[in-house]
Amino acid sequence: MYNLHLSAEQLEIRDTVRDFVTREIKPVALKAERLDLRDRSLPMQLLDQASPMGLRTLALSEDRGGAGADELTCCIVTEELAAGDADIAAVLATTSWLGHILFDYAMSDAQCERFLTKFASDDRFHLAFAGHEADVDTRLGVNYHRPAVTTAPVNTTAVKASSGEWIINGIKDCVANAPIAALFAVSVAIPGQSNAKVLLVPGDMPGLSVRAYEKPWRHGCSGDVTFKDCRVPADHLLGDDAAALLVGIDAPGEGISSFQALNLGIGRAAYEAAVDYAQIRVQGGRPLIEHQAIGTKLAEIAIKLEVARTAVWQAAWASDHPDAIADRSLPDLPLKSIAQIFTSEMMMKATKDAAEIFGAMGVMRDMPLQKYIHDARVCLHSGNGNSDTKLRLAEVIAGYRRPAGPAMAIAGE
Amino acid sequence: MDFELSNEQRSWQMLARKFAEEEIRPISLARDAIETPRETWDWDIIKKGSKLGFRTMAVPKEWGGHGTDFVTQALVMTELAKADSAISKAFSQNWKWSHLISASCTEEQKKRFLPAFVADDTFVLGKGITEPSAGSDNRMPMDDPKTGVKLRAERQGDVWILNGEKTFIANAPVGKLFFIDARTDTTVPPKQGTTMFLVPSDTPGFRIGKVFNKSGWRFYQNGEMIFENARVPHANVVGEVGGAVHKAGGAGGDTTGGDLFGDLELSANALGICDDACETALRFVNTAKRGGQVLFAQQNVQLQINRMFMLTEALRSYVLRVAWEHDRKIHSHNAGLAMNYSTDVVQEVTELYMAIRGSQGCHMDHHADKIARDAFIWSHLAGDSVSRMKVTRRIH
Repeated sequence: MYNLHLSAEQLEIRDTVRDFVTREIKPVALKAERLDLRDRSLPMQLLDQASPMGLRTLALSEDRGGAGADELTCCIVTEELAAGDADIAAVLATTSWLGHILFDYAMSDAQCERFLTKFASDDRFHLAFAGHEADVDTRLGVNYHRPAVTTAPVNTTAVKASSGEWIINGIKDCVANAPIAALFAVSVAIPGQSNAKVLLVPGDMPGLSVRAYEKPWRHGCSGDVTFKDCRVPADHLLGDDAAALLVGIDAPGEGISSFQALNLGIGRAAYEAAVDYAQIRVQGGRPLIEHQAIGTKLAEIAIKLEVARTAVWQAAWASDHPDAIADRSLPDLPLKSIAQIFTSEMMMKATKDAAEIFGAMGVMRDMPLQKYIHDARVCLHSGNGNSDTKLRLAEVIAGYRRPAGPAMAIAGE
Repeated sequence: MDFELSNEQRSWQMLARKFAEEEIRPISLARDAIETPRETWDWDIIKKGSKLGFRTMAVPKEWGGHGTDFVTQALVMTELAKADSAISKAFSQNWKWSHLISASCTEEQKKRFLPAFVADDTFVLGKGITEPSAGSDNRMPMDDPKTGVKLRAERQGDVWILNGEKTFIANAPVGKLFFIDARTDTTVPPKQGTTMFLVPSDTPGFRIGKVFNKSGWRFYQNGEMIFENARVPHANVVGEVGGAVHKAGGAGGDTTGGDLFGDLELSANALGICDDACETALRFVNTAKRGGQVLFAQQNVQLQINRMFMLTEALRSYVLRVAWEHDRKIHSHNAGLAMNYSTDVVQEVTELYMAIRGSQGCHMDHHADKIARDAFIWSHLAGDSVSRMKVTRRIH
């Protein structure tokens, strides 16, 4: 049964995170220097505080020391965090979800044993998936409803040395969490094998270097990762299905529902700021909120937020209850993509409307509204963009079956 | 109906296009990227443009200016804004107050200020209206004497003593002469109790406070003004004491209560941004390839390009019609409506342009980001609900 009642645990964690955001994150996030888009340096201290609360290992199963949160709970937490700071929300969502995929599904018991203790106990142990490579375009575009391979080729290679070690060479770009990751999952092409594989590479491995981006068009932190004769032990190779689990994990609309919840959090921050201001600021002889034009604008923002949240939660709930599609409770459509498109378009409008209420203060870089607009733009134009996501949705509606290809193709094939 | 430009209009347009492409565009993105707000301004480009006439083009010929018509002014603003909206505004802001001088200053005041303005390539004008507690209230004044500007002016013989502050004032950090609205009578509604003064930047007791750090229009300076017993001679009162409601378009015989030039200015500037977005987008979709074909091959891209051009050309028609009407002293609500409309158009067009470019990996093109930030400035200047309602009240 489709159920919008949050569990006692979900309500409790929401209150806890909301309180953390109010007491700890907002005082830092709303400082003028942090609002200035030129300074996107991560507040590491806040990330350190979030970890013992369980937010870094939120989705990791309880058996393995995590909170075992389902996707809906992850969305609730990420929205709360993003209402405080989108970058903190993005870093935690990435590590949390990768931790779940890697430790709960992709790693062998031996691999888990090697990394899990450190991951579960070290508050600074973040995770990154290095999949994307420069100049690789996976947009459907002209290949909509046409049989062309649109998966990303992998040019980074892993060659087996006589010692049995893997020697990795290549460059990955746009790697979320790269500047702070203690462990990377890296997609590689292995000569002689048709599908791409994934290797585990600790961040301090010789031959691995990270160049952090100063102002990425993405939340959290990200950068290029270069592998130059980087050697990892033979048993760092993940099983064949790991690649399939990880592909698209960093792409909005595909991997993590939390990305849409993050977008919601940005809109909510703008909305709450606008409501507060409209109640205090007096022009035309009354508080702004008592003017029809402003009241209607706030109502429209509230509508966008509520409807978008419903879409995001439904998609997350569907992930948590796969049988809901099988029993025809929900349509067999890519609900995350639908939530992603709707949310990003609505939050763009919502943040702009909220900023307009602030007049000139809405464009000042030491004030929050321009940052919310920027953050919403980043969500709207990230990854392959909404045009492409709509084409993928259209293929599903049309019943078009794209010829099955490898999860990640190898370059030249 | 005649859509042909005169030779003079055409030659100003060409001069502006050449200056914009050769001088403004090469510095635009670098200026936008400068972090310290008071350093984004570049006197060099102002001086170069001034020598070509772009600072003084609205000053009447008998005062040494160029006496251009509204159509020419619209064309030039659009061309300059196509290369950088903020730099275009830095020039046209001077025209706005040149119009006000022509409309409202006495011959004696013109003699004192206009020749100095015309002769000095670094002479920039501004006007201070907004205050921390008076923003929308200045646009739609109320009868309550407690509302409106609070900056106080009290007369002592031949001198007025000004105390208070202005905020969000364009050109404040760089201007040499400002029009300042000050309250001369706090017992009557602001409309009757406010007086306009000419205040040179070196007035004793007057200084500039904070320089604002804006997300868009970064080149264009904006700051606080602080008046601490600032002494302004009575000879600097513009019009009557208690009669501050002068508009820059007054000389054109505006009877709509609007600001003829200011409304046209924002819509013509927006048009320049749209032209830039359309032209750059078209070049991009004809060269950038995805899936082995140029982007233009995609139906969705064609539809986006179609909408960008359709909105831009509709705005151009409206802008030039308003300018043409102004030159014939036909004044209506259209100037204000065109300004409101330009907000919707400039934002949609720049957002479509950003969508067409898309993020490259996790990077956004600086130019696409800049013009979207510039376009958002319209939200509080030209497209907010107060601007729209104010224009609506002229429709009767």
